[in-house]
Amino acid sequence: MGGLTAALLIWALLLPKGGSGEAWPIHTACKDSSLEVLYQSCDPLQDFGFSIDQCSKDLKPNLSIRLGLILRENIKELFLDIALLTKGSSILNFSYPICEGDHPKFSFCGRSKGEQLYYVGPVNNPGLLVPEGEYQVLLELYDENRSTVACANATVICS
Amino acid sequence: MMPFSHLAGTLIPAMTFLSYLRPESWEPCVEVVPNISYQCMEVNLYKIPDNIPSSAKNLDLSFNPLRHLGSHSFSNFPELRVLDLSRCEIQTIEDNAYQGLNHLFTLKLTGNPIQHLALGAFAGLSSLQKLVAVEINLTSLEDFPIGHLKTLKELNVAHNSIHSFKLPEYFSNLTNLEHLDLSNNRIQNIYHKDLQILHQIPLLSLSLDLSLNMIDFIQPGAFKGIRLHKLTLRSNFDKMNVMKTCIQALAGLEVHQLVLGEFKNERNLDRFDKSALEGLCNLTIEEFQIAYLEDFSSNDIGVFNCLANVSAVSLVDLWLNKLESLPKDFRWQSLELVNCRFEQFPALALPSLKTFVLTANRDSKTVVDFELPSLEFLDLSGNGLNFRSCCSHSDFGTTRLKYLDMSFNNIIVMGSNFLGLEQLEHLDFRSSTLKQANDFSIFLSLTKLLYLDISHTHTRVVFHGIFHGLYSLKVLKMAGNSFRDNFLPAIFTDLTNLTFLDLSHCKVEQVSQGAFDSLLRLQVINMSYNNLLLLDILPFKYLHSLQVLDYSFNHIVAPKVQKLQHLPSNLTLLNLTQNDFACVCEHQSFLQWVKDQRWLLVEVEQMMCATPLDMQGMPVLSFRNTTCQMNKIIISVSVLSVLVVSLTVVLVYKFYFHLMLLAGCKRFGGDECTYDAFVIYSSQDEDWVRNELVKNLEEGVPPFQLCLHYRDFIPGVAIAANIIQEGFHKSRKVIVVVSQHFIQSRWCIFEYEIAQTWQFLSSRAGIIFIILQKVEKSLLRQQMELYRLLNRNTYLEWEDSVLGKHIFWRRLRKALLAGKPQSPEGAADAENN
Repeated sequence: MGGLTAALLIWALLLPKGGSGEAWPIHTACKDSSLEVLYQSCDPLQDFGFSIDQCSKDLKPNLSIRLGLILRENIKELFLDIALLTKGSSILNFSYPICEGDHPKFSFCGRSKGEQLYYVGPVNNPGLLVPEGEYQVLLELYDENRSTVACANATVICS
Repeated sequence: MMPFSHLAGTLIPAMTFLSYLRPESWEPCVEVVPNISYQCMEVNLYKIPDNIPSSAKNLDLSFNPLRHLGSHSFSNFPELRVLDLSRCEIQTIEDNAYQGLNHLFTLKLTGNPIQHLALGAFAGLSSLQKLVAVEINLTSLEDFPIGHLKTLKELNVAHNSIHSFKLPEYFSNLTNLEHLDLSNNRIQNIYHKDLQILHQIPLLSLSLDLSLNMIDFIQPGAFKGIRLHKLTLRSNFDKMNVMKTCIQALAGLEVHQLVLGEFKNERNLDRFDKSALEGLCNLTIEEFQIAYLEDFSSNDIGVFNCLANVSAVSLVDLWLNKLESLPKDFRWQSLELVNCRFEQFPALALPSLKTFVLTANRDSKTVVDFELPSLEFLDLSGNGLNFRSCCSHSDFGTTRLKYLDMSFNNIIVMGSNFLGLEQLEHLDFRSSTLKQANDFSIFLSLTKLLYLDISHTHTRVVFHGIFHGLYSLKVLKMAGNSFRDNFLPAIFTDLTNLTFLDLSHCKVEQVSQGAFDSLLRLQVINMSYNNLLLLDILPFKYLHSLQVLDYSFNHIVAPKVQKLQHLPSNLTLLNLTQNDFACVCEHQSFLQWVKDQRWLLVEVEQMMCATPLDMQGMPVLSFRNTTCQMNKIIISVSVLSVLVVSLTVVLVYKFYFHLMLLAGCKRFGGDECTYDAFVIYSSQDEDWVRNELVKNLEEGVPPFQLCLHYRDFIPGVAIAANIIQEGFHKSRKVIVVVSQHFIQSRWCIFEYEIAQTWQFLSSRAGIIFIILQKVEKSLLRQQMELYRLLNRNTYLEWEDSVLGKHIFWRRLRKALLAGKPQSPEGAADAENN
């Protein structure tokens, strides 16, 4: 009897800490014999779909990607931050405006909370030969209020 | 085990009870503004929450699986203004679902897969102005039961499956409609009859967005005689021919603003040439914008022929390459060219142009002079341009310029002092590199300037007259520059109308006392991200308009509280976050000041301690005064105890003999002895004996009784008998006062010898020697016995100094008090102890 009550007590004490903290699953954005790109959403609110059409060590310029998510924020303005790291040290940091108020460049600019964002098209990347190794890429999309729209931890493995 | 299970048995029900006793009754929602605004986004609600106050005006229920809206679902919230039901998986909305929401202003239904929408679903929404019905499976406007929403201003039905552009009959009720967003639907054909209602009830201020519908056909004349505020047609055509015929079919439309083009990610058009826009000649357009057309090329200026009478033209992200020789009879008043990839800067000459914006053009680096005599507004930002000499009226061909933005360019040489540009009110050089800004008062002639931004222009202020002449200036931004010796001098003397000053990131270490004296209208000053070690409020003391003072991100350890007493009278915000505060008792008064002034301080919770190590990263507010009080108590207690101890020591020293008396050391008076000591001295030394010895020993504490021959010897008895009877017999000790006369006096030597003999006979008398005068050795040797004794024993020596006397009397008293020493050696021992 005493043991059961003690177990109940411990269970009751631990219960509030349980709830959250589960990470989103790791997805594959593309995979090839030489290059593999994995990503995991780092936005606690949602996971999202992302894929790269060509996957090759010899990276072509203007890669075609697909990105789909449901907006939790209005995106009258939208910005992208990219950070490239290898072995924990930063190689490249980059910030890029995607939507700016007056002149919506993309069809999804100006969409509101609850709407879909589905982008199929090229990204403005240079062509390059990816050196062998493992890289971490942190990507974050955020709006004019600095609220996260989407966030991803990507790993690029080149062999 | 039993007590533990008892404890658990009481705790579990208590905890269960407490877990239900939540402080906020609106769980799981979040109260944004009490009684007004509630956020319940994505909290897994299956029904409308009933714990929100009925006074709520703003309710966000998005991303909850509500699924079904029955009638009178929101009758608890009669005050609602904004209701967000985005992504609530709503499939059915029953009649009168929103009944009672008579004040509702905005209703968002985005992303609900609505299957059944009752005819009376929107009944009652008598004040609704904005209805967002994006992605709700809507197939036609005809079936959308909104005909009674007379107050509606904005209807967004984008991203649905609407095939027909037919504006239903009920639009005649929607006389307030200003925005109709039909983008991203499936409209392919637009017929004359679709717009019939706009012929009957003209909605003059209507903005219509038809973007992202793949339009094949517009019936010629469909828009004839119709007036719109704005018509947007982006990414609507996949063939140039279709685009051409459709634009021709818009003939007769009168529109304030027409937007054509594509989106970067929705490029459908196969090709483009100037003939596509020929049809625009038959439209009446006030403002024209075309954006993101890949093949748009204006090598042939004829493309703009039909736009000669337009007042504003905006060309965004087009391959223009060149834009030369616009005919002078064009009436354009405003021209905007964004990211148009000019290989050469366009040398414009247009008499009508008042506003010219040319931004994000990175391909040409040098400016060609314009001839724009009416120009008032010029924005050349973000082009990476170099200016060899800036600026005078000859550069732009105008003397009317009021607004000049040269920000985010490359190198700008300040070679001219704005000659002919005295009308300027707004001047922006942000993030360009300014050269020669210190050579003379470059802004001297700009007496009408209201706004000046020279932030991050690599300017190092050396010349104190740099801002001379700017008498009207209200806003000065000069973040990210520097000053000579990192000392901010008095350079703002002419800026008497300044209200906003940004001096952040300027590496300032010191501020001149009179730096801000003339800025009597200053309201906001930003001194953040500098290297200030002191928070000196004195320069701001007389700025009675000052409301905001930002000192964040400096190296202030702790300002003097006395200085903070002089805060400007109207100050409402003071930012001291991210400084190197020392949370030590030394600055206790400042730390207490922080607590007292928390209403004034910005993000007071974010003010962190930098030192000492154990407080590093802790909030300043967490500093406890009690730790200082503890220290104070400890310090005062120890000081007090040291005082007490030393006082006791002093007292004990001073009243040593009184204490001895109290402790019962009275034995010297208790035995058969009448006298404490018999004094042997030469009559030559009688003065000393009477005035010093007798006075000190008999009248002091403890009082000693001395045996003195002139007083105590019984008359009529032989001197020798008196010496024996009165002197040695009745005295405990013998004091021998040795002096020159003593040695020479026969009586004295006699007495001394008897004393020695007596000492051998009786075992009690101790002899205490007092050397009154230094005695010559040769003289002393005559008395071999005395000489030997004095060499071997400690004796007292009379000194005339105050300290010497004090020590002498203490030693003598001690020696007299010492019990019953057997020999002079014993008396000496007692003294040493």
